[in-house]
Amino acid sequence: MLTEVHVPDDVSAAVRLIAGGATAIGGGTSVLPWLNDYASPPTELVSLRRTGLAGIRVDGQTVELGAATTLAQVEHDERLADLNAVVRSIASTPVRTLATVGGNLFARQPHGDLAVALVALDARVTLVDDTGSRELSVEELGDQPSGLVTTVTFERPQPGTFKYVKAARRRYNSASLVTVAATVTESDGIVTGARVALGGVGPRVIRAHAVEAALVGQPLTVETVRAAGEAGRGEIEPADDAYASAWYRTRVFPVHLRRALLGR
Amino acid sequence: MPLRIVNVKVNGVDQAFMAKPDTTLLLALREQLGLMGAKRGCAQGACGSCTVLLDGAPVVSCLVPAATIDGAAVATVEGLADGQELNDVQQAFVDGFATQCGFCTPGMIMSAEALLARNPDPTADEVNEAISGNVCRCTGYAPIVSAILEAARRRRDRAGTAEQEATR
Repeated sequence: MLTEVHVPDDVSAAVRLIAGGATAIGGGTSVLPWLNDYASPPTELVSLRRTGLAGIRVDGQTVELGAATTLAQVEHDERLADLNAVVRSIASTPVRTLATVGGNLFARQPHGDLAVALVALDARVTLVDDTGSRELSVEELGDQPSGLVTTVTFERPQPGTFKYVKAARRRYNSASLVTVAATVTESDGIVTGARVALGGVGPRVIRAHAVEAALVGQPLTVETVRAAGEAGRGEIEPADDAYASAWYRTRVFPVHLRRALLGR
Repeated sequence: MPLRIVNVKVNGVDQAFMAKPDTTLLLALREQLGLMGAKRGCAQGACGSCTVLLDGAPVVSCLVPAATIDGAAVATVEGLADGQELNDVQQAFVDGFATQCGFCTPGMIMSAEALLARNPDPTADEVNEAISGNVCRCTGYAPIVSAILEAARRRRDRAGTAEQEATR
């Protein structure tokens, strides 16, 4: 049962309310469906709508997204070409108007495709609680950190190095079967760096260390990517859900890894 | 349970209503402001039948806590017609038989309005993407897409004619 919706005017007021047990919402597109449908314990919400946390700053190669920046803002920002396509693969227009960057970090799989991309981009967050603020990576964030994510920061990848594929049951507005996001750098035809994140194939976003290890030092060929896909099968933990079976996700994962990394 | 006064401009008219914490924008529109166009379908943000424009952008109003939108502008399907005269999108839906049971129609039309405001000359695929959050369980998508394309064409034609007259 929803007992109060706070709409604080600044971050410190929001943090105090969260420390007191209230739940933060960005757009509410994950939390409200639950509250609309299920009996919940008394719940207080803190809306971030007026906290001034919405906004995109690009300074050289560094991008800072306020946690309350909507997916629609990211979708339409020409400076964020790599993320435009990522965001367009998420939900529908009237959901993206509401849903936020910070909220997507806590979307339950097989949702949360932006978080997959942000792990591949080695993004970092600022987490504020009533004792102060600290910085950590999106990968380290976990499901329920204490405090409020206020910003997400990453370095824009070199042109052509960011790869993203989301396989879904429908072309638009469908949850992930397999999501692959990666940054891959090459020198003289050899992979010199790879950071690969996966969605849809586990209870959380998976950083695919075995896939990365199979790529680095090799030429980016069909054979290399096939071996990386085999290696990756050991680190995914897919589940059955309404979209696909775990078996199916395991079966097609290497195909979508190849499409992401090689474009075919 | 605290009540809160929420002030909003709905279809250009200043309105105020009392919101409980669990009052969504959809509930306020339907039960307090008497605007029954937006429908409650899934209450999950998945069907789009509650789509309205919030500060000009389409939202699923079932997921918007009313307390969070004090001071905002809301546009609903009721605000589109000029008296008895339907607007372009509404008229194109009528002309193209793009309604069957009609339950999804207000949401479809508001998603179409949002698309055409941003993109006056969309392709069929862009229309598909724009209404991908609006479910029609009569499955009459083809006439809906055609109607939105037709509305866009009529709107462009009218804008072109107005421009010609202005330069005459």
